[in-house]
Amino acid sequence: MTASTAPARPESEAAATSPWVERLRRVGRALALPAGSVVLAFLIGAVLIALAGGDPLASYEALACGGFGISCFGGETPALQISNTIEFITPLLMAGLAVGVAFRAGLFNIGVQGQLILGAIFATIVGLRLASLPGVILIPLLMLAGVVGGALWAGIVGVLKAFTGAHEVVTTIMLNYVAYNLLNYLLINGPMQAPNSSQISLPVGQNAQLPTLIPQEGLFFGQPGGAYHASIGIFIALAAAGVYAFLMRRTALGYEIRAVGQSQRAARYAGISVRRTIIVTMLISGAFAGLTGGLMIAGGSLHYLYADLKFDTTGFDAIAVSLLGQNVAIGVVLSAILFGALHAGGLVMQSDVQISSHIVEILQAVILFSLAANFLRSLKLRLPSLGREPAKPDGMEAAQAALQAEVGSTAAAEGDGRA
Amino acid sequence: MAILSQLLQVLVSGDFWQLALRDGALLALPALGGVLSERSGVTNIAMEGMMLTGAFFSVVAALSFHNPWMAVIVAMLAGGAMALIHAFISIRFRADQIISGFAINIAAVGLTTFLNAKLSNFRGLQQVDPSGRLPTINVPLLDNIPFLGQVFFQQNIIVYVSLALLAIANLVLFRTRLGLRLRAVGEHPEAADTAGINVYRLRYGAVIMSGLLSGLAGAFLAIGIANIFNDNMTSGRGYIALAAMIFGKWTPWGAFVACMIFGVGDALAASTGVINVPQYFLQMVPYVLALVVLAGLVGRSTPPAADGIPYTPGGE
Amino acid sequence: MSRTRMRLVALATCLMLLLPVLAACGGTSSTSGGSSANTIKVGLVTDTGGLNDKGFNSLANQGLQKAKSELGIQADVTQSTKASDYVPNLTNFASRGYNLVIAVGFLMASAVGQVSQQYPNVKFALIDSTPADAKGNSVTRSNVTSLLFKEQEAGALVGILTGMLEKQGKTPKKSHIVGAVGGQKIPPVDHYIAGFQWGVAKEDPSAKVLVAYSDEFSDPTPCANKTDTQISQGADVVFQVAGGCGLGVLTEGGKKGIYTIGVDTDQSASDQSVIASAVKRVETATFDAIKSVKDGSFQSGTVLFDLKNDGVGFVKGNLPVPADIQTEIDSVTNQIKSGAVTVPDTVKP
Repeated sequence: MTASTAPARPESEAAATSPWVERLRRVGRALALPAGSVVLAFLIGAVLIALAGGDPLASYEALACGGFGISCFGGETPALQISNTIEFITPLLMAGLAVGVAFRAGLFNIGVQGQLILGAIFATIVGLRLASLPGVILIPLLMLAGVVGGALWAGIVGVLKAFTGAHEVVTTIMLNYVAYNLLNYLLINGPMQAPNSSQISLPVGQNAQLPTLIPQEGLFFGQPGGAYHASIGIFIALAAAGVYAFLMRRTALGYEIRAVGQSQRAARYAGISVRRTIIVTMLISGAFAGLTGGLMIAGGSLHYLYADLKFDTTGFDAIAVSLLGQNVAIGVVLSAILFGALHAGGLVMQSDVQISSHIVEILQAVILFSLAANFLRSLKLRLPSLGREPAKPDGMEAAQAALQAEVGSTAAAEGDGRA
Repeated sequence: MAILSQLLQVLVSGDFWQLALRDGALLALPALGGVLSERSGVTNIAMEGMMLTGAFFSVVAALSFHNPWMAVIVAMLAGGAMALIHAFISIRFRADQIISGFAINIAAVGLTTFLNAKLSNFRGLQQVDPSGRLPTINVPLLDNIPFLGQVFFQQNIIVYVSLALLAIANLVLFRTRLGLRLRAVGEHPEAADTAGINVYRLRYGAVIMSGLLSGLAGAFLAIGIANIFNDNMTSGRGYIALAAMIFGKWTPWGAFVACMIFGVGDALAASTGVINVPQYFLQMVPYVLALVVLAGLVGRSTPPAADGIPYTPGGE
Repeated sequence: MSRTRMRLVALATCLMLLLPVLAACGGTSSTSGGSSANTIKVGLVTDTGGLNDKGFNSLANQGLQKAKSELGIQADVTQSTKASDYVPNLTNFASRGYNLVIAVGFLMASAVGQVSQQYPNVKFALIDSTPADAKGNSVTRSNVTSLLFKEQEAGALVGILTGMLEKQGKTPKKSHIVGAVGGQKIPPVDHYIAGFQWGVAKEDPSAKVLVAYSDEFSDPTPCANKTDTQISQGADVVFQVAGGCGLGVLTEGGKKGIYTIGVDTDQSASDQSVIASAVKRVETATFDAIKSVKDGSFQSGTVLFDLKNDGVGFVKGNLPVPADIQTEIDSVTNQIKSGAVTVPDTVKP
């Protein structure tokens, strides 16, 4: 559970107490800051809701109902709300891992949206072309296609970065727009457009859809089974988080990725091939992103490709998820749960108490601000236990490194470049 | 061949370059803001949010004052206020600047959409009438020069402002003591501090400048080009400006060159009916072009050495 | 020490998770507007354009709010921020026993097809499309009414006006070239444009109609830019069919001194250049659908809104329409109403 341990963090304290207590304490320390940030955001949000003429308590009841299925007073079915939340968590978690792995190597992947679009395109093609295959073969193939699509798209970024130094922030943004236009080309009077429709492809068949957690036939908790869309995709995403944690903590590659993220120069001295690591990291990041696209097609409630995917914000929300989760597996899981629940809750909140669901974006922003600013540090003196050392997680270092990679090696020469 | 001649026909038209320059100059404002902010050592990915906020408040102000200049001031202040939050959190609290900048972008979407619904009772803010719009200025005499007149001397007033600001920023950044200090703060804050330069003040100033410029761009977009506010109307331009800034290696003119690539892209996208190429392939061209140029000619972009690193006097 | 610390950490964590529950405990039971058992409950789900779109979402909401004040129904709205919200949003209302769930927009066809099948006792109204089944084919469901518009008839009338003006040389440049700027290429947009092409060609066969799509409904710049290009190709009347994006068409046209035509609602106040608007009374259709549920006359299948039932129409703008043109518009209106002429609904390349 503690994938958060930075490699360099001293473990001396652990000796004093039992390993379990120490482990729990570390988890507590890692959680204190985000948890406090969430509380602060809700307090500020309450003020905003009140200023907008709403009732903060009723709003948060509805938010909690939509998010977690608790405190439902508007006739909602809690199980259904939880199912919706799971459906929203799945892509956020998967895409958050995509952003996270890049951050760990000091790369800022703003291109997850484009990569997941490529993944979704590839997955849809496989789902439609091989529709006659049985599910046990077709679904893995479809996911694999998503992985390949996303990895190819991100691989371009990695190769360009490794061999020409082209900055990944620029290349990922450019490739997003190329992906959007590719999507438009395919779906608007293009080869993938469904006959008699526009802007969408044909849906993939039943074989290509992930099994849902609740059977589609019959009544469950008073609602038809078909209304529950949460699928085993959430387990795929959780498994991916496990793979991510294992990769980062237990493999040589993970060590290399973190080393490159902390200092490319030092990594080079340590004999790590920075080029290779950058390319491999982007391939992994793109694979996660592409799998997100696959999950969106095979899971979720819409099983077709749609042109509006270019206005979808999953790839960008994932950046927030990853940053909030401090780029460690368990953190990304928790923040994906939070963001997924906030999104699902916002929808219900608007329908119940007519508070615009966009208040949720303000909450998300405050959480991030508070986390980044570590406002709690100023409280620390009074509440020493809230986290003695709200340690700067390695994710943040990686994030900074994203825009300052290669410091020192060429900076001096570049400084007055155009003077 | 037909396509080539169509393309040529488009490329020699004054309309095409007039539009390209307008959109290039629009993008140049937030890109320049980014350059200043990052030169001072504060990573800034928040131009999108600051621009959106500026766009929203420019329309609100234009609708109430019926005066574009009041609207521009309000928009710049709104962008500046968002920047101040970013600066405060980045400098005072030594925050992770990517998180902070990203939070600004999310907050701007939430805030403007929320307020837009609130102020208009869910109908969307109204169109800005001509009295509240930024004027197009035709420079006397010069605007009659064939081709060049249309491209350079029949533009919205903010286009001239944008170009002037680029030139001024370039001068200040590379030819004045202030610029030297700003760059010193972004490269070696400790050394600058030792030399008696106020690191914090310069960083605050630079970040707030980025907000003012992005807010101005928002106003240009909303009351100079569109004359309306729609939710999310910046549609990623702040990120394009971010890309342009890096593409241009953190220099004003370098960023402007990149902005012009995207301006040409906008103009090409507008010409889809004229050039007989599938619309979406044509619209890909600027982005692919930018990739190729970046990979082939520009190569490695290295940010200022202290970019993104909060400054702590005397270590911690 | 470590114990206290842990306790505090635990407290902080629990606080985060418990906050909503605590809120629930202290709740003032203020949810859901205190509806009585027999109040009709209507939920409206917007597409990703949102309520501020100055287009059909906004119009549908106006119809809903009108029904709320005039019919005494309970009216709730949810905005979709991404396409994956459609099904959960529709289900949210349907699962809670709302009497009518209104879905706005062509792009929600398959979401409505799906949810309406799961909730046969809930009525649905789908604006601009018929529901689609799991294979993407259009289907009819006994609990869904599709509110479809013959946009081409409204497009035809503004086309007649444009064509007559061009033929008589009364347009700004007398160029015999006009334009239409669409948003996304979807049937409702294409219907308008097809009608416009037909109307123009009927009056001025020599006129050329330029057609462009912005692929955008919210950012006005691409629409303004497309208009610019059409103007440089000679167009002196441009028809916007792009919702909020298309407002860029109107102002750009005004700046460049050409005539423009508004869409969906009377847009003559948006810019001086607007000479007419092709309207589509989404608000009326929405109101009528709610009313039919209220008085028990709800009918499944397709309800067509056209010139005959005043579901679409022509509204004058900032240009006085000459008597002879008005006569022609009236006569074509009558021919369309009587079925003597049929306006095509597919765009000619």
